[in-house]
Amino acid sequence: MNNFFAALWTETLKMRRSKVPLFTAIGFSIVPLIGGLFMIILKDPEAAKSMGLISAKAQLMVGVADWPAFFNILAQAVAVGGAILFAIVTAWIFGREFSDRTAKELLALPTSREAIIGAKFIVIAVWTFALSLFVFGFGLVVGNLVVIPGWSMELLQSAFVNILGSAVLTIVLLPFVALTASMGRGYLPAFGWTILTVAMAQIAAITGWGDWFPWSIPALFSGAVGPRAEQLGLHSYVIIILASSIGLAATFYWWRNADQTR
Amino acid sequence: MNYAIETNGLSKFYGDVHAVNNVNLRVKCGEVYGFLGLNGAGKTTTIRALLGMICPNEGNVKVLGQALGAGGRGPWAQVGHLVESPAAYPELSVRENLDVARRLHGIQNPKAVDEIMDKLSIASYADRKAGTLSSGNFQRLGLARALLHKPGLLILDEPSNALDPAGIVEIRELLISMAREHGTTIFMSSHILSEVNLLADRIGIIHKGKLIKELDAARLEEIRARQLVVAARDLAKAREVLAGFDVTNLEDGRLALKDARAIESPESIATLLVNAGVPPTHLAIEQENLEEYFLRLTQ
Repeated sequence: MNNFFAALWTETLKMRRSKVPLFTAIGFSIVPLIGGLFMIILKDPEAAKSMGLISAKAQLMVGVADWPAFFNILAQAVAVGGAILFAIVTAWIFGREFSDRTAKELLALPTSREAIIGAKFIVIAVWTFALSLFVFGFGLVVGNLVVIPGWSMELLQSAFVNILGSAVLTIVLLPFVALTASMGRGYLPAFGWTILTVAMAQIAAITGWGDWFPWSIPALFSGAVGPRAEQLGLHSYVIIILASSIGLAATFYWWRNADQTR
Repeated sequence: MNYAIETNGLSKFYGDVHAVNNVNLRVKCGEVYGFLGLNGAGKTTTIRALLGMICPNEGNVKVLGQALGAGGRGPWAQVGHLVESPAAYPELSVRENLDVARRLHGIQNPKAVDEIMDKLSIASYADRKAGTLSSGNFQRLGLARALLHKPGLLILDEPSNALDPAGIVEIRELLISMAREHGTTIFMSSHILSEVNLLADRIGIIHKGKLIKELDAARLEEIRARQLVVAARDLAKAREVLAGFDVTNLEDGRLALKDARAIESPESIATLLVNAGVPPTHLAIEQENLEEYFLRLTQ
């Protein structure tokens, strides 16, 4: 257990010293800002007309300026943007060991490889969940600043579950990004994997198979495309847990058994 | 006998390439073992197998009497290593990099980091980011990481890489003192033959994945080929006079005699040449240097 805490301390230090947490927070903070901008545009039709394309897009996406629409934007952005941003975090945590050639320093140690990989996953989970909380909190601030109607505590609770739940479902699929970064020994294969899964998730959702495809499930859970109960069934949660378990097991297996030649 | 390192029929294949082929190593406790080979000979693959970083296709590896287990399990608390080029987290300072290693090695005492920085002469760079270090100091950081936990066995891949001449001497003396005073077993690969010769008790030479020669370092002096080198003003005539010997022309024009009778009694060769009217201007027994010996073995 001491070894695990040593590994956790190490991974936390690496994260603290990196600029990646700052960049990901800045990147994600764009989401509430854009949502707030849409709300401002929709609140003032005259200004919307004078703004051309942005106005047309804003009306197309959300229609009206109120809290449900604003939370809807946040939920969509966390589901799709989170898949990409969280993958960057994961690819960095695993891929950097190969690009900095430090992977070999993690292998012949009294601290087991399992402890080190487990610590990496814990840091990824905490970091990405914190990012989601940050977006939700920052969204509340922005929404209050632009003063939109339709606020209620029930709405707040359901938006919290939608956005954070969607984030958690995105996070549980990150082991596959870790696996591709490890097997591909760098960042790029992980980014390739992420683009592939985001595209496939869109196709699965459009063709009506989203509830069966793990990478479509977070967006469907967010409620952005309709009531959750209509989009997902028990099988969807079973599939995503199964997929997550496979990704985790495969990543641990790879670090335990693969030849490390870099 | 208990060996610090023992491999039995160690083989590693990558497709058709036999990176390491049936290597049987025995490194005694307290021994300094020099592992020589050309680039691509299989040195690093062997070292990675010794550290459980790759799984052999055939054979097995024992380190400090313990067979390496699944998932690279081994007696790593007692083993320090430096594989290929050193690596460190560039955004972390020298001290933080060593603190990471200290914690992952389960060393409770934080002073261990200061001690090893002093020993490797990098204390003045303690707060500098590793990514900004010169290659020599980066190498020292890699060595500090390997030595931090005072291991009983050190496995070092090219430890003198990137060091300046003073650094090479300093590290050599440090390793010698670890071996002689603390009984540390050292397994080091290198292509700097003279460096290995100065440090090692025993030398193994790997070529195309096979361990082609193992010998005591002291024996290296004896078995390196010797030759009698002769120069004269009229080399053509001298060569005629020495026709009964195995004479070869050296690149600088001098003659080399490899016969034992010439090497054992150079004065008779001198007499022969003087009597023939071609007195030697140079007559000396020269020993094949390490590089020549190594190349002779591997060609």
